[in-house]
Amino acid sequence: MPTTLRCKCVIVGDATVGKSSIAQVFHSDGSHFPKNYTMTQGVEVLVKPVNIPETTDSVEMYIYDSAGKEIFSDLVRRFWDHPSVVIVVFDCTSETSFSSCKKWLERIRSQCPDIQIPGALLANKIDLDQRRVISPKAGKELAQSNKLEYFECSAKEMQNVDTPFFYLANEFHKLYQERVELFDSLT
Amino acid sequence: MLARLLQPEAKFVKPVLTLLCHHKWTMFDVALSSAGAHIALATSSDEKHPPENMIDGKAETFWSTTGMFPQEVVIRFQTMMKITNVHICSYNIRKLKLEASEMDESTKYDTIAETEIDETDSQLQQEEIQLGEKRAYSLRLVIESGYDHFVSVHKVVVSGQAVHQ
Ligand SMILES: Nc1nc2c(ncn2[C@@H]2O[C@H](COP(=O)(O)OP(=O)(O)OP(=O)(O)O)[C@@H](O)[C@H]2O)c(=O)[nH]1
Ligand SMILES: [Mg+2]
Repeated sequence: MPTTLRCKCVIVGDATVGKSSIAQVFHSDGSHFPKNYTMTQGVEVLVKPVNIPETTDSVEMYIYDSAGKEIFSDLVRRFWDHPSVVIVVFDCTSETSFSSCKKWLERIRSQCPDIQIPGALLANKIDLDQRRVISPKAGKELAQSNKLEYFECSAKEMQNVDTPFFYLANEFHKLYQERVELFDSLT
Repeated sequence: MLARLLQPEAKFVKPVLTLLCHHKWTMFDVALSSAGAHIALATSSDEKHPPENMIDGKAETFWSTTGMFPQEVVIRFQTMMKITNVHICSYNIRKLKLEASEMDESTKYDTIAETEIDETDSQLQQEEIQLGEKRAYSLRLVIESGYDHFVSVHKVVVSGQAVHQ
């Protein structure tokens, strides 16, 4: 019998790193890349189901695309209660956006310090390889030291955008199965 | 009876205890499906762990939430009840609100209790909520937050009796 899980996936990172582009490319199955920059001024929620391989289960991803501009930080935090999973995005051509990742992650994790939140670190804009300043190695190291899984993508080229979402949906599904086993063992 | 309870063999002790518990609950539990109550709504449904498991009288079966908060479930009684006490067996619930409605098919609910339940480690939470005396046709449980992504509710026992109009 199929089960549908609900997963609140919060996307954070500095302004202009491409969070909305990633969310929209994933949500539209690669049919929509917003070429012109529209600053997100709060949180935009997009919903998309993901099927879990080798099961009949699916995970409904509630994607919370959050503004990166600091002036919205108090506002967006109000939407971050009970995050299920998190994607921290940086722009691989921007050193600043890379060093902000820790701050973003801490803000999410401080919402619920005792709960395990599966997370992904995502390097975007890898199509701009001439201007790239953050190496895959540096990305992987940061991910590892913060218990995140590392991914790279280009929202513009629609390359590898789905992978972090699929990874997190699967992790969330695994967590659910573990918890149900625990519930079962309590009586 | 006592002599049998004191018998060391588990096979004797267990059935007697079960019988006692069963007897105690069925006298007063108006939320049991066997007493005519049913689940009118639930915000999560894994068909392997459906919300009906909360009112089947068994602690072994449970309703599992399937992600995100808040989570809600509405238990509709067979008729208007006077309820005095709610007992909940659960795991990982943090903030819980109880609401009652005096109407059939109503969307108007009054909050009758709010509580924060302590976290337990590898055993069920047992929460006893005294209500004084409240009239209710439906009881809504709102799980506002949890100690983890998912919570389970094994049993909801509502003590009360039918209101005779
Ligand atoms: N070259 C390139 N440009 C991209 C890519 N992804 C996004 N962009 C561009 O980067 C700019 C910012 O993208 P957004 O998705 O709006 O950025 P954001 O992170 O949502 O920004 P805020 O909403 O302000 O936090 C836009 O002009 C996008 O077209 C990419 O993979 N490659
Ligand atoms: Mg945006």
